[in-house]
Formats: sequence, structure tokens, C-alpha cells
Amino acid sequence: MASETIYIQHFKEECRPLAYYLDKMQGYTALKKALAMKPDDVTAEVKKSNLRGRGGAGFPTGMKWSFIPKQATKPKYVVCNADESEPGTFKDRDLMRYTPHLLIEGMVIAGHAIGSNVGYIYIRGEYTREAKLLQEAIDEAYDKGYLGKGIGGTDFHFDLTVHRGAGAYICGEETGLLNSLEGKRGEPRVKPPFPAIAGAFGGPTIVNNVETLCAVPHIINRGGEWFAKLGKFEKSGGTRLFCVSGHVKKPGLYELPAGGVTLKQLIYDYCGGILGDKPLKAVIPGGSSAPVLTAAEIDIDLDIEPFMKAKTMLGSAGIMVIAEGFDVVNLIRRITKFYAHESCGQCTPCREGCRWMEEVIERILAGKGKRKDLDLLLDVADNINGKTLCALGDAAAGPVISFVTKFRSDFERLIPQGA
Amino acid sequence: MPKCTIDGKSIEFQAGTNLIEVAKTAGINIPFYCYHPAMTVVAQCRMCAVEIQGMPKLQTACSTVATDGMVVSTNSERSRKNHSSVMEFLLINHPLDCSICDKSGECDLQDFSYDYGSDKMRYEEVRRTFVDEDMGPIIKKNMNRCIHCTRCIRFGQEVAQIPEIVAVQRGNHTEIVTVDNKPLQTEYAGCYADICPTGSLTLKDFRFKKRVWYLKRTPSVCEGCSRGCNIELWWDKDTLYRTTPRVNMEINKWWLCDEGRFNFHYVNDETRITTPHVRVGVETKTMEWADAVANAAQVLQGKKPLILVGTDLTNEEVKTIQAFATKAFPGAPLAHFGTPGVATTKDDKDIDHLLRRASKTANLNGVEKLGIAPYTGAAAGTNATLIFRGGRAKLPKLEGSAKVGVGVFFGDEAKLFDALLPGTSFAEKTGTIVNFSGVEQSLKASIKPVGKSKQITEILAHWAHGGAHPTPSKEREAAEV
Repeated sequence: MASETIYIQHFKEECRPLAYYLDKMQGYTALKKALAMKPDDVTAEVKKSNLRGRGGAGFPTGMKWSFIPKQATKPKYVVCNADESEPGTFKDRDLMRYTPHLLIEGMVIAGHAIGSNVGYIYIRGEYTREAKLLQEAIDEAYDKGYLGKGIGGTDFHFDLTVHRGAGAYICGEETGLLNSLEGKRGEPRVKPPFPAIAGAFGGPTIVNNVETLCAVPHIINRGGEWFAKLGKFEKSGGTRLFCVSGHVKKPGLYELPAGGVTLKQLIYDYCGGILGDKPLKAVIPGGSSAPVLTAAEIDIDLDIEPFMKAKTMLGSAGIMVIAEGFDVVNLIRRITKFYAHESCGQCTPCREGCRWMEEVIERILAGKGKRKDLDLLLDVADNINGKTLCALGDAAAGPVISFVTKFRSDFERLIPQGA
Repeated sequence: MPKCTIDGKSIEFQAGTNLIEVAKTAGINIPFYCYHPAMTVVAQCRMCAVEIQGMPKLQTACSTVATDGMVVSTNSERSRKNHSSVMEFLLINHPLDCSICDKSGECDLQDFSYDYGSDKMRYEEVRRTFVDEDMGPIIKKNMNRCIHCTRCIRFGQEVAQIPEIVAVQRGNHTEIVTVDNKPLQTEYAGCYADICPTGSLTLKDFRFKKRVWYLKRTPSVCEGCSRGCNIELWWDKDTLYRTTPRVNMEINKWWLCDEGRFNFHYVNDETRITTPHVRVGVETKTMEWADAVANAAQVLQGKKPLILVGTDLTNEEVKTIQAFATKAFPGAPLAHFGTPGVATTKDDKDIDHLLRRASKTANLNGVEKLGIAPYTGAAAGTNATLIFRGGRAKLPKLEGSAKVGVGVFFGDEAKLFDALLPGTSFAEKTGTIVNFSGVEQSLKASIKPVGKSKQITEILAHWAHGGAHPTPSKEREAAEV
């Protein structure tokens, strides 16, 4: 059962200081190594690692970096998405809390790779403690010359700023994040242009998740090939942090090789099974926006592609486990309420549809549902799904479609006879 | 040129053109709300989403640039389902009050609901409601009708260059407001009503005055300044109801300033003098046309008048005046007047980034081209004034003891003259004017002359023939039919 982990053993208070990072985690050696490499070679190494974005979409990181134009009239930016706003996700918080220097080092290396001298960490507003800890680590890094001018005796310079969000889910969407960072309303932008071409302040920008950037120093230190081999599947390297919550005996963070075990193994072998040894009802496997799985559907390898095949997504690896006996209609009401509340309101299907779905589910829960409401819900969700400006619409529609389809009888039980 | 296929039609296009514009060239109208060719593309309303071969998701036509070989379907089952679902989403919270909405008859939402909407309502929940709000003197906001297209926000930011309208709250609660609820600042506030695709932002000046389908439209040119913005006059019977901009990409694009938009009000103003007036002793009296013209001729008999020509007159009027003056008052000097401080076209300039010009009359350039100099004061020996005005030119101080006015005058201005012969405004006559950049454009008569007013050309013809009974004007006869 024991497999190599690269983060979780350091998730302790005493691991935070720079001294520990330098001493026990080969701190800032990757940066030195990277600065001696050509920027393109750094990107090539990341490509080789098969590192895929840990924020939710799972886009290959090296490829994202390679989209940044070599020549640009505007400054380039490295932006870390530390908004961690997907319900059920709590891995980036620990990375920032315990290994802030790992993130800083990853960002400086990314800056070198794409030719950027400016980085921002966009951290969710609620993470007040982490923002403070990051700032302390950044100050420390400036002090020791890992940030600022002439890093590692080279002429490379990199400045890093922590920017706190004001509490909106949509600011975890990369272009909504960029608008918010620029001081505008946190509303997603039309793509294209993608951030790699016109991102923060119109300059070429990479937006990477905390966990993604934290993998970078490891990749540079130990090689892309090593990282790639940590994963079980061909196109997905490294380990992943799984955030397990809900009705399991041992909820919490688990670090496992990408695709190393199945969802079932994680729940039963690692998390000790269901609370009170009840039967399993459902699993929301990738943050609340991931379509729900029934107890019969959890024998899937924990990685991006197998989850796509199962018509759900690994997303941000926020796994919520639901035991039999829990009201799933109330659960989807709460999820839908969340997305209706967090919809930015720009585009029609999301603004109008999310709230509509919420109202219908609320009505069903109040005992005023009608049989036709279930098909209405499915149709409204279908009219949102894939038709909105950003992925929030899909995030709201997918759960509704999956809950109504897979747990239809739970809804029907609430609908009065003959209604 | 590259080619794409839309709904089976092969269409050539200029590289860089979006699908809405490409389709338009082939007569295919893709429905949209948030798109406006003058503003940033935001792809928010999702109405224009169409199916493109090889792309798994529907793509918004506004934000998709056509590429060579692209195959697009605007009426496939998926496209149509999206059109109707967006319509449904927009209507669930939109009051179905077209019968009392001022936008009715020229509302995109209403029009598209006929094409893509359903006659059945699936929404059974409570609609969100807002209280109507003032946005200053020009615009009234009804948030219940808003479909969040954000054209108004972008118009303020990008066109008027005053970011004065913003969205507050979020999601389903999003509300469109002015910053700090302040009145709109722009001189182009009327355009907010033009670009609003629903009855959310309406013109206070026009709302509830008339159903648009009862109004006739005459394409004309604004006389508010030397820009010569293209407009449409909306009128019924003897009354003008509103002015809207008419697209002319060379002159005003889609826009019109508020001064120009509301300029028409003087035409039907109750203080406008529309019957001939003559001074008898110390009193000014109304008089029949024949007597008034004879009186006017008599006032100037044997005098050395200065002839003043407003730069708000058409070329045709000025030419008639020139010909008349040569015969009736040989050697009398002609000079033009219009905007204080803008004596010649050299003084005329842009007064903002968009349309407005310093010359507050439309034909300064044309009048100048006809060889008339600006009025700088009367020459020695001048003892009378004959003044012609279209309606906007600012009256200068009048010289001499005998004064005759021909054209559009108001209220107490009658007292300035020994004889006053009421002429027609820009909305009641046809003629050409030349804008500041030399573009010659046509005014077109809409309503018939108000009251007893007559065309200047007709008045002068009458005068030249010695004040005999005037023959009825052909234009007037035509209008009466």
C-alpha cells in the first residue's frame, strides 16, 4: 500500500520554515538547476513529466506553457490559481500552509520557462491565514535572493505578489480570476483569446493551480521521466492529493500515485469505509461540479481519463462520500443553490437556468413537485450544459442531470401522488 | 477571397469577419441581443450560438471569426433548440407586458419571440422584480425587462467613454445601474434607448407618447451641428414625435447626440410663430399672407438693407435669396450668421471625441461655399435689415430702423420686426446642406408646414411678384392630400 509521496509527509507546522525546506526538501536546488537550463528545456522537461493541471480541467501543463509566445510586446505573467473554490476541495490550502516555498520555487521556475518576471498568487479571500503565511514565505524568499533581482547570481529577476480574492467561486475560473486580479468584476472572458495569448493586463499569461506549480520543483530536481512514472497511466504523471470528505471513517487528504488505486479502494482501504458501516449511496468524485456516481459505479481508477470514460470527472479531486439514508435531493438542492448563487450573471443560460433548477428542486422538496418537473429539470439542465460562456454552467447542469437520472426514485418519492 | 458555407449557401468573406456579419451579407439573419458591431464582443446572450461542422459544442456566431471552408448551420436542430431555449430563459423573468411596453413594435426580444419562442410557459415560479428607476433626465430604467445584454454598459465605456452604467450584484440578482445612482452624464444618453434590445431603457421624452407603428418615418439629416448626422424623423399628421439615428458609417455610425435628438421639439413648439405678423403703430398684429408680404415689401421700400442669411438654411434657399436680393435690392450686402464664436468654417471644430461640432448650424460650409461672408457688423449707410433664418441660427443684434424677418421665429421675437413672414424648419422642407467635411446631404420634408408657415422660396416668389395673392404651394397641396 505504501507508495512514494512527495507532499504529504511535509504537511506539518514544523515543515514551513525556509530552513526545513532547504534542508529536508532540496529547497531551491531545482531553481538553481532550472536557471542553468534553457527556458525551452525547462518546458520540455515539464512536458516529459506528463504533469496535468490539478485545478480541475486536467490540461497538460507543459503544453500550456508552450503556448506562450516567445516574443511579446506586453509583459508575461505567471499566475497561480489559489482560489480553491470548488466545494469539497482542500488540498491547495495545505500546500500553501505547510510548503509555501515549494509553490514559490515552482512559480519562479515557471517564470524562467516562459520568460516572465512577474507572478501573482490569487488566493481565495477566506484563506486569511494562508495568505499571511505565503506573504511571510515570500518576504523570506526576497530576503534570501530567491525572489527579486539577480536570482541565484543570474540576471533573472522575478517579483511575486499575493492577491486576495473577495469570495467568489467564479474567480477560480481562469479568466474570471484574471478580471478580478485586474480589479474588474470577476466575470469570465470570451475565449479565444486564451490567457496564453492575452491574459493578465493583456499580456501572455499562464494560470496554473497550486498543486500543479508545486510539482514543478520535483520535476526539475528528479526529472520529467521520474515524475511521469509515478503515474499509472501513460498521459498522466505524478502523485495526486485526494480530498476525501463526507461519510467515511477517515476523511482527509490522501496522496496517491495518479491512477494508482481505484475510487473504491480509496474509500474502503484508505478511508476505512463508510461511517457506521452503512451502505454507500453515492460519491461526488471531483468537487461538487462532477456528475455523481452511484455505489455500483466506483470501481474506477483514480485518474483523469478513466473518470471521463465513466462520464464524470476527477476535477479537483474533491471526493464527497454519501452514505445510504442521506437525502440526495436535499444535497443536489444545496449544490444547485451554490451554483445559482455563484453564477456571475453574464450569460443567459447560467444566470436564468441555475436559479430555475434551484427553484424547481426547492418546490419538489416542499412537497409541491409534479411528475413533469423531473423532465423539466433534465431539459433545463441540458439547455445549460455546454452552452454557457464558461464552465460554471456545466458545473451546475452536470450534477442535476446525474442526480435526477441516477436517483430518480428519490425525487419521485417526494412528488405527491397524481401531481 | 476565402469562402464558408452557411445554411448551404457558399459565401465569400473578408478575413477577420465574424459569422453574424458574414451571414448578413447573404441575407441570413442570425438572432442576437448582446452583439453590437460598435462594441466589444462579449458572447453573453448566447442567442447567436450556431452549429459548426467539426466542433462538438455550439459556437456563438458573434465571437467566431469565419474561416475558409467552415461549414455552419444556423437552423439545424441543435441551433434551433438553443435559440428557443435562450428565448425561454430570457422570458421566464421578463414581464409579458408588450401591450403596455413602450418598446413594443421595435423590440428585438418581441420580434425573436415570434420566431423562436414558445406559446407555452414552463416556468411556474415567482418572477424576480425590481422597481423602475430614473437614470437622469433622458432615460428611464425598467429592470424587469432587462435581459442583461450589457450593451448599455459597453456603450458607456467604449463609445461615450464615460463608464457610467455598471452591473451590481451577481447571477440572477444582477442589476444594471448608474454608478452611485447618479444621473447619466453623457451627451449621448438617448443612444442608450436605441441600443437597448428590450424596453428596459426608454426615452423619457418619447415614452407613452405614441405607438411606433402609428408613426411614419422620413430619412433626413440632423441640423443640430455641422456634423450632419443621418436621422430618421418619426411623425404623424402635423406632429413630430422623435428623432432616431440612421446608420451612416462615414458620418455618425450608429449614434446621435441628445442635442440633435431633441432638436426637433421647436418645430411643433407652441411659441413658434406660424402666422405672418406686421407692426401697426406700436402693436404687432397677425395678418393674412398677401397683406403681410405687401407690408414687408413696403417696410424695405427705398431702404439700403443688410441681408442676413442663417447658416441653418439649405443651399437651395440661399440661392433663391441671392437671386431675389440681386433683383429686389441691387448692391445690398449679404452676410451669414449662425453660431456666436464660429464665424467661419475655420472656427468650427469637434467639441468631443464622438460627433458634436462647434457650429450649431448645419450648413455653415454650404453657405460659405455659396460665397457669402460672415456677418461682422453693418456697413455705413445701412438703414434696414432683411433676415432669413431656418430655426437654429442665433439672431445677431439687428441694425437700422426697418426690419423684416423671414423664416422660423419664436414668441417675443415677433416684436423685433416690422414684418415677420413665417418660414419652414428642417423637418418641413426638402433641400441640401453641406457638412463640415464637404459631404452634401439632403433634408427631406416630413410633416407639412406648421400653421400658416410657407417655404422661403414660395414667400420670395410671392414678394417678387409684387405681393399678389399667393398661389397655394404645390408641396403643401401634396402634403394635404
